[in-house]
Parts: sequence; structure tokens; C-alpha cells
Amino acid sequence: MEAVVVEDLVKVYRGGIRAVDGVSFSIAEQEVFGFLGPNGAGKSTTIKCVIGLLRPTSGRIRVFGVDVEKDPGIAKRTIGYAAQETAVDDQLTGWENLYLQGRFYRLSREEIRRRGEEVLRLFGLWERRNDLAQTYSGGMLKRLDIACALLHRPRLLFLDEPTLGLDVQTRKAIWDYIRKLREEQKMTIFLTTHYMEEADELCDRVAIIDRGRILALDRPGALKAALGGDLITLKFASADDRVPSLLSAIRALPGVRDLRSSPDGVHWIRVEQRGDRLIPELVQLALAHGVPVDSVRLKRPTLDDVYLHYTGREIREAASSREEHVRARILQRRVRR
Amino acid sequence: MILRDALYVARRELLKFFRARTRLVVAVIQPLLWLGLMGNMMQGLAQNPFVERLLGTGSYLAFMTPGVLLMTVLFGGVFAGMSIVWDRRIGYLEKLLAAPISRAAIPLGKMLAAAVQGGFQGLLILLIATGLGVRFATGLPGALFALLVAMVFSFTLSGFSLALAVRFTSQETLMAVVNFFTMPLVFTSNALFPREAMPRWLAAVAQVNPVTHAVTPIRQVLLSGWDWLGMGPSLLVIGGLALLMLVVAGRSFGRATVE
Repeated sequence: MEAVVVEDLVKVYRGGIRAVDGVSFSIAEQEVFGFLGPNGAGKSTTIKCVIGLLRPTSGRIRVFGVDVEKDPGIAKRTIGYAAQETAVDDQLTGWENLYLQGRFYRLSREEIRRRGEEVLRLFGLWERRNDLAQTYSGGMLKRLDIACALLHRPRLLFLDEPTLGLDVQTRKAIWDYIRKLREEQKMTIFLTTHYMEEADELCDRVAIIDRGRILALDRPGALKAALGGDLITLKFASADDRVPSLLSAIRALPGVRDLRSSPDGVHWIRVEQRGDRLIPELVQLALAHGVPVDSVRLKRPTLDDVYLHYTGREIREAASSREEHVRARILQRRVRR
Repeated sequence: MILRDALYVARRELLKFFRARTRLVVAVIQPLLWLGLMGNMMQGLAQNPFVERLLGTGSYLAFMTPGVLLMTVLFGGVFAGMSIVWDRRIGYLEKLLAAPISRAAIPLGKMLAAAVQGGFQGLLILLIATGLGVRFATGLPGALFALLVAMVFSFTLSGFSLALAVRFTSQETLMAVVNFFTMPLVFTSNALFPREAMPRWLAAVAQVNPVTHAVTPIRQVLLSGWDWLGMGPSLLVIGGLALLMLVVAGRSFGRATVE
């Protein structure tokens, strides 16, 4: 069974803003699925519709076959949700936060005690469980928030920007937890992120969403490959008459798509994939032709390139029209309320 | 199920309430100041036989104890809405809404918590008043009755505050709006001043002021004795308002969170 099936979801807020404009996708069980997109693209709104926090204007959403609008109670029990804001009550201790969360999900005292210890140990918070959350660091709060979302053992976990504003160590640690959850608990994970690196690292598939529409949806590797392969920049130590014959030999190599040269002796070779494997071959070929190599550089398309290819401008606020800016702000405010 | 969910919502509020030491200390000092200082200050006035007749007692302290009780509960209950604004700010509200609990359990839980807080503060006030020599004509049952009324009133006001709070996203705005209501509510009631001594227009306002209806039965059992027939209308008003506010808070909460 598919974990999530969204069909033609549309969400129009009061005031006529189309936050989500006909989005369809499905997530397989045990898949890590990522949503990428600029601020106000409709990521959070889509998630909030799926978990029953917002009522869709039209479209159908099923979570493990359950219609979210018709049976929100059943759907909600299979879902864990860690919002963008760390929703921890800092005037309560870590354990109290966890305990209340468990009660809201109708767990028994015994279940909370057992699973609570398990998740707090997993996230390295067990020793600090009786301290007020206001004494926790930002990373600890985020971990506690995710621990709370895991307490009722959801089959589907939503993480809205799970590593926003965290230091590199904490971010890596959270990535490890996410992988562990998928492997050990057989969990399906749906995350949104701004960090391309994160999506690349964690997600089986990513959807790039902008202005309420999905622009691309595939495996990160496939998305990158679709942009047109690796680029090798090659420079020779000397420019003599042996170079042209070398270049035509390179052109003849399998996998080489294109070769261009600049007048000052820099050559760009576009390769379908695995440019790293071609480099030793290039160097050998050059030596065989008696041309010493000065430098080789490999650039592979990143998910950043894919993202920019689809969403266009790098800095949204600076490039966007005033209308778009207002739209993004209204959306954020709505979603945060 | 809704009650069970509400109890855990309430438990969270109460955990925080009893943990905030400063707030508890203030909760004791404030009524102590009111009763000790003002009760003493006004005592000379109550020696006048005419005034004594208006107050229904020779002790201004005894007269004002129900008023101070209700005032404290009023100022406390009205701030229940703050917690919703805060919960929305930190995203906790969303977390509650994502959980499989009944939506109505959220305002109900917060109102129940306000009732318990009101009862606790009321108990402190009555203990202080007893220390200062105030005695209930109806004894312990009368005092318990007074606490019950205070709790119901706190429940009602917190509902009012919650219904307002769902419309505001800043605590400052809520505070300003709430203060706009609380002070006039106190000073147009018989909490600190006998209705019999008010100018006619003010007495008319006091007659429809819910604070008056909460104060009157308490004053009745404190100064004279049980009079169910006389207290009946006021008790109906207080009970009816509590139910009304429960519905109003529940509905405005639902409207503000379902989109």
C-alpha cells in the first residue's frame, strides 16, 4: 500500500491566495520523500493538508488508505509531525513534554514510560529528562521535538525543515537518526528542506515545488542527470601541435558528449555521467600523446543546480515582484498561526 | 474522551502555574495588601451606623472579602487567553491540533485549569481573611460554597478571554483589550462598594454586571446565612454564563483553527 496518495490537491486561503494549485504525488512505504522549494512555495501548506491541520479546497488525500478528511482521528494516529518551529513547552521538563504528548495520542502510562525511555535514549536526552526544557540547547530542543513526534510510533513521520538553524554536528546527527528510523522502524518519512545537500543525502525521491505546483519529481540522481551530466575542465601544461590530435582522441572516448576549447587553452568536456572515472583515462591519453597535464577539475551538477534550473532565481526576495513577496509573507503567517 | 483530553490540557497549565514561584508569591501578597491595607483603611468608615446599615456589617473587611476574592479570580481568569496566544506563537497549538484529540478539549482544558487556579487563589484569600478575623456566618460549608462560585466565575472569564485570544496574535494586544474590560467590570459592581450607596444609574449597571451576581451570593453566606431563594437568580446567571462561555470559547476556537 502507498503511505500517502495526494490527488489534485488545491488549497485556496481566504482572500483568494492559491497556496497549492493542483498537486499530485504518492509516497511508497518506507520511502524518504523530500519537498524542495522557496519560501511560500506551498510546501508547508501541502503538509498541513495531509496531516489534517488544514482543510483542502479540493482534491483527495489518503494516508495508508485512510481518507484524511473523513477519518482524521484514524489518520492522525498513524502520523508523527515535527513542525518547523520547535514546539516544545520550555516551562516543562523534557519528560513532561513527552508524557503529555503521549497522553494526547492516547498512550497508556506504561507505554509512555517504556517508549519514552527508548526515544530519549535514542536522542541522547535521557540524562536531561528532568531538566526544564528552557535549559536545553537549540539542537536538544529539536531532538526533543522529534522524539515527541516519534513516541506513538507513527508509520509516517513528517519533518518540516528538521535541521533549520542547527550546527553541522547536530544536523549530521539528525540525518543519522532519520536513516536509522527508516531502517530500524520501517518508517516512511516526508521532509521539507531548504538544504539541497540534505535532500540529496537523505531522500529517495524529491519533488521541487514552486508557486503551488510540482515542477519536477524524481530521484535526486535522475534529476541531476537530466540537467546534462558532469563537466570536466582540462588544462595542458604546453600548447603544441600534438594537442589537436589528443583532443580528437578524447572526443572519441565513450560517454563524452561535447568538447569545447577556449583560445587560451582551457578545454571543457561534458560527460554523460561518472566524470570521475574518465579522469584517469584522460590523463593517460594525454601522456600517451606526450602532452603534460597542468590541471583537471570535475564539476558535477548538484541539487542546487537542479533547484535553480526549475525555480529560477536564487534569492527570492530580491528578485521577486512585490506581489510575490506579499504572497510569501501572508502564506508564512497563515501557516504559522 | 473529550474530558480526558481536556484534563491533560489542564494538567499542562497547572504544572506551569504551580511551578512559577514568583507568580505564587504575588498571588499571596496581592490579596494580603488589599485586605490588610484597604480593609484597615476603610474600617473607620464602617463605624458610622448609616454606613454599617449599607454594608450589612460593621466590618468593612468582611464586606470586601467577597469582592477581593472575585477581583483576584477575575484578574487571573482573564489571562487564560494569554496561554493560547503563546501556544500559537511557539507552535504548540499546532502540535495539539495535529494530535488525535478533540478540538474542543483545548479550550475546555484551559478553562478547567483556570477554575482550579481560581480555587487555589480563592483559598489563599479566605485563609488570609480568616487570619485577619473574618468569619463566615455559615461556617465551613459557606466558605466552600464561596470557593465554588469563585471557581465557576474563573472558568467563565477564562472562556471569555480565550474567545478573545483566538483573534489576536500578540499578547500585548490581548492584554490591552482584556484590561479594557476588567477594571470597569470591578468598579461597576458591588465588589468594593455597596450597591445601595450607588447613584441610580451605576446601581442599574451593577445589577447587570456578572461580577455583582458572583459577589452577592458569597456576601450573603458570609454576612448573614443561607438564602437559596434570594441567591437563586444570581446563581442561575453565574451558571448560565459559564455554559454560555464554554460554547462561545469552543466555537470561536473552532472557527479560528479550522481553515
